[in-house]
Amino acid sequence: MRRLVFFLPVAILVLLLCSLPSWAGSEHPGPIRIGVLAPLSGPFASGGSAFLQAVTLAAEQANAAGGVLGRHVDLVVADTQGRVDIARSEALRLTSREKVFALIGAYLSEETVGVIEVAAASRSVLIVPVAATAEITDLVRRKYERYRYVFRVGYSIPQWAGMMADFLGELRIERYAFVGAGIRWNRELGKELRKALARKGIVPVYETFYSPRTPAFEPVAVAVMARSPEILVLGDPGGNAAEFVKRVREGGATFPILSVGGALGDARVAATLPLSGPLYVQAAAWKGASAAATRYAEAFERRYGYSPVGYSDTLPFDAATLLFSAIRAAGRADSDSVVTALENGAFPAIAGIYRFDASHQAIWGTPELHGVVIRWETGGARIAYPDSQAR
Amino acid sequence: MNPFAQVLLDGIFTGSTYALMAAGLALILGVVKVVNLSHGAFFSLGAYVAYILSANGVSHPATAVVLSCIIAFAFGVFLGKSFINPVRFHPFSVAVGTLGFALLFEQAAQMLWGPHPASIGAGAPWATVSGIVVRRWGVVSVVASAGILAALALLLSSRWGLPLKLIAEDEEIARSVGMDVEKIRYLTFGFASATAAAAGALLAPATSITPTMGRVPLILSLIVVIASGMENVLAIFLVAVGLGLLSNISAYLLAPQWSYVSLLTVICLLLLLRPEGLSGTVPGRDY
Repeated sequence: MRRLVFFLPVAILVLLLCSLPSWAGSEHPGPIRIGVLAPLSGPFASGGSAFLQAVTLAAEQANAAGGVLGRHVDLVVADTQGRVDIARSEALRLTSREKVFALIGAYLSEETVGVIEVAAASRSVLIVPVAATAEITDLVRRKYERYRYVFRVGYSIPQWAGMMADFLGELRIERYAFVGAGIRWNRELGKELRKALARKGIVPVYETFYSPRTPAFEPVAVAVMARSPEILVLGDPGGNAAEFVKRVREGGATFPILSVGGALGDARVAATLPLSGPLYVQAAAWKGASAAATRYAEAFERRYGYSPVGYSDTLPFDAATLLFSAIRAAGRADSDSVVTALENGAFPAIAGIYRFDASHQAIWGTPELHGVVIRWETGGARIAYPDSQAR
Repeated sequence: MNPFAQVLLDGIFTGSTYALMAAGLALILGVVKVVNLSHGAFFSLGAYVAYILSANGVSHPATAVVLSCIIAFAFGVFLGKSFINPVRFHPFSVAVGTLGFALLFEQAAQMLWGPHPASIGAGAPWATVSGIVVRRWGVVSVVASAGILAALALLLSSRWGLPLKLIAEDEEIARSVGMDVEKIRYLTFGFASATAAAAGALLAPATSITPTMGRVPLILSLIVVIASGMENVLAIFLVAVGLGLLSNISAYLLAPQWSYVSLLTVICLLLLLRPEGLSGTVPGRDY
């Protein structure tokens, strides 16, 4: 019995010592799990699938280069269906059940506002690639402690309007028409563009928003033509934009059209549109704008068989790249450390070098990060603005 | 260019596109007596057939129309025989089932051809008369809708259309004289689906092709059928053109958002004042 009393603790100690290596093994960090929230079905599936493709490409490239801090990046994807309630519940699932470290998304402004609350409650980093409403950054500014985990990579509506106004100013026009889709951010964009262009002495001669249910393209096209603008700014990034361009051009209008991007940035769609007048498209980046942009576009084409549109794919790619860079800069996948890294760092990506202001909005419209305007021509696109990148 | 004259002409063209879709929908309502919410999916199917042919160098619209009609007819017969006929006495099941089929098609289209908008070159306008543009797709719509509706009217007034009229009037009598009512129903469903696909194939160059593109035409054609009733083929065409004009004029004179509001207002007023439809003669319709 004495022997047993002596040997039992010794045996337990030996067993514990033998199991030490496996404990040490469990300290090896697992993959970094990133949640991706995008509308993969429903009316916004086009933008959402490009969004997912771009983030997937970014994760694949990071993993091929050895991962982030030596850890594999795992994407956990959720389909928001373009609905606020689904986006919120999926964000909750990703943060609570899937235990993701950070979220990238959502796509629409309305969805993203819902997701922000989940990110704030779970203290998860949320990188917003495209949603443009001011509400996102206003929350960070007003209640920093709660919403400091939220960063927007894409341009805000005033920045967007400012970049478009710079281009329109270069064209030396005086009158423009604005046609958008009847959605929240399009209305905000129309308003901001009016303010930005007023400072340059450019006035609107027509402004309207068509309904996605019965777009009534023909009367809108007729009304635009009757006002004889020097340029038509098209705020709708969706497929309806292509249909509207057809209506305007078949009506005989030859004035330039400037699109905010999206569907009209797709080379396959642009190839079917009449080029009887200049067709410009705004984009975050474009092949040829920089070595990084060209590498990205070529990699995207190889991976998915079509060219990126420069907006709903490029910005999510940059969002993912930025997040990986911030984790590396922080030295660990910890929300507070990554927030500090994002707040203080400068992060090169496809569109340029990203820095964030106090409201966690990426600072667009600077020489480091400014976007481009391309012009579709027979056989492809060329960069029309800024002049430094035009070819 | 006189802008208002252009708006009026475009209104006629727009109305013709409604009529194209409404023709098949009215046939299904009249003969099969179900509300078919998958009609828009067949419209999308036709547009995708046209797109695929165009992408492969076959741009003649007749090829797209014929091929899409064949495919849609086959799908329509399958759907009519395997699903609609067994549950057609349960309107809720039919509505949910056909809506489910439409959503299934949308998902399949997204998986097969991607969610990105596709487009086909629309070509130059057909003509310009005194500054008024005669849009190519508009001429196609008028000719095709008038043709389809005239063919339907001819069919219904001929010996071949007698079974359809009899089934629409009284199925029991049709059955008692030896007609295969079930077969005629699913063949009608197939034929109506083919007309929707033909509409999609013909209008594809004018639109942006997406998996969900059939939703709006479905709603608009339902509005036309509710307003016109399904008894009179000419009434379908005239009501469709009237609604097209109303839609375009209100969009031009007020704002684009008023286009939809004005259509829905007309429907609400019609349902209140004349529930049997403009051409209907039987009060208290059961759909």
